[in-house]
Amino acid sequence: MAPAPRIECDVLVVGGGMAGATAALAAREAGARVVMARKSPGSTGLSGGAVSVAQDPACMPDAPFAARSGVVESARRIAATRPGHPYGLLRDRLDRLWNAVEFATGQLSSVLAPPTGRNRWLLTPFGHAHPAAACQRTMAAGDLAEVRGTLVVCGFEGHLGWDPGLVASGAVRVEPLGGPRPRAVLLDLFRWEEGAVGTPFDLARLLEAPGAAEEAGKILKRILARGDAAAVLPPVLGIDPAARVPERMSAEAGIPVAEFLSDLPSVPGLRMHRAIEARLAAAGVEVLGGEVRSGAGPDLPAAVGGREVVARSWVLASGRFVGGGIERRGELRESVLGLPVQASEGPFADPSIRFAARAAATLTQADSRAPQALLAAGLRVDGELHPLDAEGRVVHPRVFAAGAVVGGHDPASDGTGMGVAIFTGWLAGRAAAGRGA
Amino acid sequence: MAGLAHQRGYDVVVLGGGVNGAGVARDCAMRGLSVLLLEKRDLACGASGASSGMIHGGIRYMTSDRNVTALASRDAGYIRHIAPHLTFRIPFLLPFASQAEGSRLLDRVTWYATEVYVGTYDLFQPLKGGKPSVRLSADELYRVEPGLRPGLHGAVTLDEWGIDGQRLCLLNALSAADHGADVRTWTEATSLVREQGRVVAVRFRDAVTGEHGEARAGVVVNATGGWSPQFGRSNGFQVPMRPGKGVHLSLDRRHGNYGIICTAVDGRQMFLMPHEMESIIGTTDDDFFGDPDDLDATADEVAYLVDGAASLVPSVREARITRAWWGVRTTLFEYGVEEDDLSRDHRIYDHAGEGSAGLLSFVGGKLASYRAQSEELTDRVAALLGKATLPCRTHEVPLPGGDEVPSPRELAARHGIAEPVAARIVFRHGSLAREVLRLVDEDPRLKLVLCRDEGILAAEVAWIARHERVRRLQDLRRRCRLALGGCGGLDCARPAAQIVARELDWDADRLRAELSDLLEAGWRERRAVLDGWQLAEEELLRAVHRGLGGL
Repeated sequence: MAPAPRIECDVLVVGGGMAGATAALAAREAGARVVMARKSPGSTGLSGGAVSVAQDPACMPDAPFAARSGVVESARRIAATRPGHPYGLLRDRLDRLWNAVEFATGQLSSVLAPPTGRNRWLLTPFGHAHPAAACQRTMAAGDLAEVRGTLVVCGFEGHLGWDPGLVASGAVRVEPLGGPRPRAVLLDLFRWEEGAVGTPFDLARLLEAPGAAEEAGKILKRILARGDAAAVLPPVLGIDPAARVPERMSAEAGIPVAEFLSDLPSVPGLRMHRAIEARLAAAGVEVLGGEVRSGAGPDLPAAVGGREVVARSWVLASGRFVGGGIERRGELRESVLGLPVQASEGPFADPSIRFAARAAATLTQADSRAPQALLAAGLRVDGELHPLDAEGRVVHPRVFAAGAVVGGHDPASDGTGMGVAIFTGWLAGRAAAGRGA
Repeated sequence: MAGLAHQRGYDVVVLGGGVNGAGVARDCAMRGLSVLLLEKRDLACGASGASSGMIHGGIRYMTSDRNVTALASRDAGYIRHIAPHLTFRIPFLLPFASQAEGSRLLDRVTWYATEVYVGTYDLFQPLKGGKPSVRLSADELYRVEPGLRPGLHGAVTLDEWGIDGQRLCLLNALSAADHGADVRTWTEATSLVREQGRVVAVRFRDAVTGEHGEARAGVVVNATGGWSPQFGRSNGFQVPMRPGKGVHLSLDRRHGNYGIICTAVDGRQMFLMPHEMESIIGTTDDDFFGDPDDLDATADEVAYLVDGAASLVPSVREARITRAWWGVRTTLFEYGVEEDDLSRDHRIYDHAGEGSAGLLSFVGGKLASYRAQSEELTDRVAALLGKATLPCRTHEVPLPGGDEVPSPRELAARHGIAEPVAARIVFRHGSLAREVLRLVDEDPRLKLVLCRDEGILAAEVAWIARHERVRRLQDLRRRCRLALGGCGGLDCARPAAQIVARELDWDADRLRAELSDLLEAGWRERRAVLDGWQLAEEELLRAVHRGLGGL
């Protein structure tokens, strides 16, 4: 068999999560020929349905509605207080943040509801109200800042996976601040064996079946009372948006029906992953499955899943530890180009401190709520998103980094992970295609 | 005394819910004495829960403390009789370097001596039902354990028994309660009350409810282990002891089917062994002068253990370490002796000479000998009380669930669950596994598997919350290893917390607080070993619990 021909392209994007997808689509929109190399669904495929961009750092955790400032204003405040955060590095370009968010959510409008410019407040399975600049369409009707009256928080009679009382407690805390009054109920669903032991994916498929969502809607309707304004359910309302599970339930119940956010395993994560794949295909991005290892960089051949790719520009959107862009085998390093890991936060925010070889115990603090340098570690980049080498020099003028592979923020927990992915992905994709921001 | 919620008299008040405290509480209760057991945290929170999980005779101590080896071997046999479900065989290999690798005459003499030594250890094997040792050639050795580094000359095998030390403590406490003892966990003894040179009562505080109480006591047994010196200092008596910190590492899976005895960089003997669903590397032994409530594993200790195990099993360097855990062991006081040379024997101190008549302290000893140690302590308690008691029967009366080991296959078929899950439930609960699984017949929702690593069913969590003295969510770390496996609680923590909350009637705020507490304990054990895929797992845990959960 003859070897597959070498692929020549303008931009090679490494990584297929939110940062990589945004970069690829932005470069494609700018007219570039784009190849994406991705080994597997990354952390975006495990996300819970929220697109968190920025929460006002001055806003008390228990008083979310106190912050009525918009998402971009919140990002500016983060930039002002955390110079090492990607928003801090890009503070002069934050006026374009909203363009990036609108671009990404527009590209993924099959699953994402249009953003409003301010945060929605969405319940989580842990009883927490979580801010999100954008969220999946299935979730928008559960915005605590919008629902007036009573919010019916549902669990399932037949499945122990979610405790509606716990979920509703996240709304109880914000009720005095103008949020809806939550009411926890159990819907008489899944009370048979395959439901009781089902995974979230099993339950989502069961609800997609003909008649199932309608039946669920009728069950919901039976327990509704005067003043019930909307209902939120566990995030298993179908995998495929085309199955229209929330809409079908809502039509029967007579009130808006939404999902709350998901932990793991995540049906919304799978939904997002599929939407990204579909959008990339439609936009003409060539996706190669495989890992890029010891790739040499722009203009040089890189092996991806048995193919050889030569690209004029590279975008590293390879993620953090889950994505595999940053790894630690006794020492922290970037995995695709072997670049040094030298950006972090907390006690190791100072760029002159070389910490990549320090012990894990040194790079962490006993209180898990404290900033954890190890979890915030990644590439150091300049204001153009060029990764920097150990001497602080640009590695290559046509290599860019986007998303969690960039250090200085903790995408897992600081509430800016998706926002950084979208903003840096958008900027890097355009720059790689030869278009400035 | 006014304002005390609880005021009652007991023959004996036992301080400390480790294996000795729980063991003496059981023995005293079974002999007909009235007993109160106070534990400031949960059962097995100290050295008993952080032991290597072996009821071994301690071949290491055979030359110096032969009576320790004999006692431990005999008592290991009794433990296997009273808790057969909780023990499992661990075959160990003790490998030797080859001549080609430059082993000298001295090495060969040492090897020969070791064979004789292990052969002598065999004399103790019948006491605990172990198999005799076998000498393996290099060929045989690499056939049974291909992961060993090349160049070894052969090995000697020796047989040991593993145990779930945390459940051993629990079962003793449950048995004590079945025999009438009051068992109070998360209840700290705050002070001793003295009258005319005697300790007559213990004051305590319940950490969960905040309530205070006082218990009159005929005899007080101080079995607080590593906390003894501190407790003694605050209460006017002295407990001579050399506390030593011991750290273990857990790997995410069984790294082999044999325990490997290896030599650390300083010449100390250490091991890598399969234990339940994981492998364990242990252990360090360093004098500890600090606060036993404020321990952490250090980078230094982690590297020491990995290097030692990798000296014989190089692939350990690539293995995923899921956590580092620690405890403070108590050894008898001697000055000017190295840690490893300290005796593992035990001693009972009577504090009458310090104006504290009626107070006994227990120091030293081994997990494997806890029952005999408890018997000896109970004899002393009875003598001090001057009471005639029933004879000791702790060696023949099974612990709860220890009367029979049901077939996991049968249970799995009867209740429609996976056999490996049934096997784990039988391991933890013995004959009571039948009761645990009966719950799924009444409520099919309880068939939900919460943890695939440990085989934890929702039914087991509900059962434990109802019957195993759970007061805090983190108690389930010790009841069924909740959130200790490779996932660190990613799958299991929230659903398990919801079930416990339902059983114990916790509101949402309490549930969130308990969940935070459970997860924080896991973070403290993981942060020194975050590397490779474990670091990716940590990122997921952080995203879910901190990011999404706001915990």
